[in-house]
Amino acid sequence: MIHAFRFQNYYLALDVESGAVHSMDEQAYEVVRALEEGRPLESLPYPKEEVGEIVAELNSLHDAGAFEAEELVPPEGTGGQVIKAMCMHMAHDCNLRCKYCFADTGEFHGARMLMPEKVAYAALDFLIAHSGKRHNLEVDLFGGEPLMNWDVVKKTVAYGRELEKKHDKRINFTITTNCVALDDEKIDFINREMHNVVLSLDGRREIHDALRPTANGKGSFDLIAPRAQELVRRRGDKEHYVRGTFTNRNLDFTNDVKALREMGFEQISLEPVVLPDESPYAIRAEHVETVLAEYDKLASFLLSERKAGRWFNFFHFMVDLAGGPCLKKRVSGCGAGAEYVAVSPDGDIFPCHQFVGEAEWKMGSVLSGEFNTGMQQDFLSCNILTKPECRACWAKYFCSGGCAANAWKYNGDIRKPYRATCEFEKKRTECALGIFAAERES
Amino acid sequence: MKHIKTIQQPCINASAHTGCGECQASCQSACKTSCTVANQKCQKESK
Ligand code: SF4
Ligand code: SF4
Repeated sequence: MIHAFRFQNYYLALDVESGAVHSMDEQAYEVVRALEEGRPLESLPYPKEEVGEIVAELNSLHDAGAFEAEELVPPEGTGGQVIKAMCMHMAHDCNLRCKYCFADTGEFHGARMLMPEKVAYAALDFLIAHSGKRHNLEVDLFGGEPLMNWDVVKKTVAYGRELEKKHDKRINFTITTNCVALDDEKIDFINREMHNVVLSLDGRREIHDALRPTANGKGSFDLIAPRAQELVRRRGDKEHYVRGTFTNRNLDFTNDVKALREMGFEQISLEPVVLPDESPYAIRAEHVETVLAEYDKLASFLLSERKAGRWFNFFHFMVDLAGGPCLKKRVSGCGAGAEYVAVSPDGDIFPCHQFVGEAEWKMGSVLSGEFNTGMQQDFLSCNILTKPECRACWAKYFCSGGCAANAWKYNGDIRKPYRATCEFEKKRTECALGIFAAERES
Repeated sequence: MKHIKTIQQPCINASAHTGCGECQASCQSACKTSCTVANQKCQKESK
């Protein structure tokens, strides 16, 4: 399978199954497109000899396994039934009232609740017990807002450190926070103990304040921005992301990336909001084209900044072509419900944070130890080899099959990818490959 | 070649038979609403 596309002045083609990327002239690009679409090459407005030359070049690439390569199938069973990553919902409560919150302003469709220490310990025990031979485990301290349960956060990390020693494991903790409750003590603890930190900040002050108000209805930007900056300043090179959400109110989100840049942030992620169409902030089919064009704009901004020596990273434009994940990982994707689960404050297990609180997706409980391995199998078998739309999609090895939670929320089926996010993913992949090409050639 | 320049050699086949499972679960990294794995590192390589 080939995907030919244009990025700025580049004509590019991705050989899907091999991962090879080719940059070409316009004529070659048109030949590839015609081959892709099954149009006769005679219909192209180029001299016959030239078309012949191009076809010969494509043939030699084919012989080298870099053009129209065969589909590969990863080894069976190495993913196994182990669980190695867990999202712990430390608090179903929040000190902000974000208008688009998928957790329903921190309550997750239930009562406000903090995860008791007992549940947190049981969750880590459950993770260790199901981790098999995996050495590297991941625990994300999530919410609501996890800082609202700070004491238990600290105890959880301490308990995790004990378990690491006892079982010869490594637990990489991540915390996702809205920054409201950050103070010096918390910043230092987080920077010492957390492998990764995700800081929620939407970009421009007016955008952020309109969608991320405090409980008393005021904007939260001024509370958050200096704390996030301080954390990142003290953190140095250690992994972190400033992560924003865009809605239909800021489809010009390049301006939000610019605002985050001006605040000094270099590791940036902005995500389209996930909301039902009837929500006033939802990104709907009619917004898709605007979003795609905006990704192009953002890619141009990123390239020009980096060229000028002002490096920054946009999560979705990052791609590691040569040293990326193995085929098995590319096929199996996020691992939700399979090797990754989420735990609610009362100890119930769900396939991932986006499913928490949805009764039909309860997989078990860390307190009773019960776990629905049938549901785990369903998630394991939901991958790009088994989803027909994904298997036929050129972006499959970059996307890995998209988000099961989105698929379920929009299409009622974890195996039916949600079209708008597919369009976004494909565009971001094109931008990522385009940036790779542009930076290589400059 | 005159018309085509390969800027990335085939790379997916190199990893077709591995799969140690030690790498990060994708959504844990930054996005929390969607999945991109291609930008992730192989844990074996980064060790
Ligand atoms: S972009 Fe959509 S169809 Fe393609 S792999 Fe991702 S989820 Fe599947
Ligand atoms: S199902 Fe979606 S939200 Fe859940 S872990 Fe996977 S990509 Fe992330």
